[in-house]
Amino acid sequence: MIANEGDKLPPWTMDSVSPERMQTMAAILRDPNPVHWDRKSVAQLGLGERCINQGPLGVGYMVNMLQNWAGENCIKRMFIRFPNPIILDGDHIISKGVVTKIYQHQGFDMAEVETWLERDGERGLIEATVTLQLPRD
Amino acid sequence: MTEVISFEQVERAEGHKFPGGKYSIQHWENFLLTACTGADVMQDGVVHPIALFHVPILGSGTTIAEMFALGRADSDMSISIESYDWQLFNPLKEDTEYDIQGKITDVTRHNDKPGDTAPVYDRIVFDFEVHDDYSLVASSTVIWHYRREPI
Repeated sequence: MIANEGDKLPPWTMDSVSPERMQTMAAILRDPNPVHWDRKSVAQLGLGERCINQGPLGVGYMVNMLQNWAGENCIKRMFIRFPNPIILDGDHIISKGVVTKIYQHQGFDMAEVETWLERDGERGLIEATVTLQLPRD
Repeated sequence: MTEVISFEQVERAEGHKFPGGKYSIQHWENFLLTACTGADVMQDGVVHPIALFHVPILGSGTTIAEMFALGRADSDMSISIESYDWQLFNPLKEDTEYDIQGKITDVTRHNDKPGDTAPVYDRIVFDFEVHDDYSLVASSTVIWHYRREPI
């Protein structure tokens, strides 16, 4: 696989964040916080009657983009930050990324990628610095 | 400065080791987890990496609720996430029994100096390791902030 510093990754889009998927995720995570499955509890926070997406699902959109680009086992390290992680059901979210470094490690081609989620052009929801092992041609 | 829970009470959590334990990711769990992200399940039983959010916690014998309690959280809404740092040395696989250990490695207080205007919070670092029969498969360092409300 040929990649260069400055390359933009093909974006990955979640057309509409689904409250049903949040409910399933809450059960898998054993996360009892009602903001992920009870819209009325979110309304009490002043965010309207829309559930708040779990941070792991937002990170999942990033992972899907990275794996679509460099293969299923490409991720070697992922440092994830959550500056403003409030994503609500119905939001249209795009995962984007750019290659910041290409290097070799133990005979493998590696890439460092900065990735983030966007909503209506707004960045800084969730961000990550990722080390990828690139597939051989 | 407004009085909040003492740092000495919170700092006791430093060094706390979770019981540790075994965890196998079943196919159904990986299938549903992956579907929730909007993707198709991967080939050869490879698990979606976001399993690293919950597998280390549950596998080490703790829960999100206990992690809140160990840090003396004022409420669920007083917690915010600084970061997760994952290292994947090998892919996680379905139906593989992993040995998982975890502990609290650092507790520090912030914004507690005279003149600080931002809310006081405690920064707690949790370290988890996931091993198979042969080696370290993955690690996860979780850093949460516990915002302190006046007593």
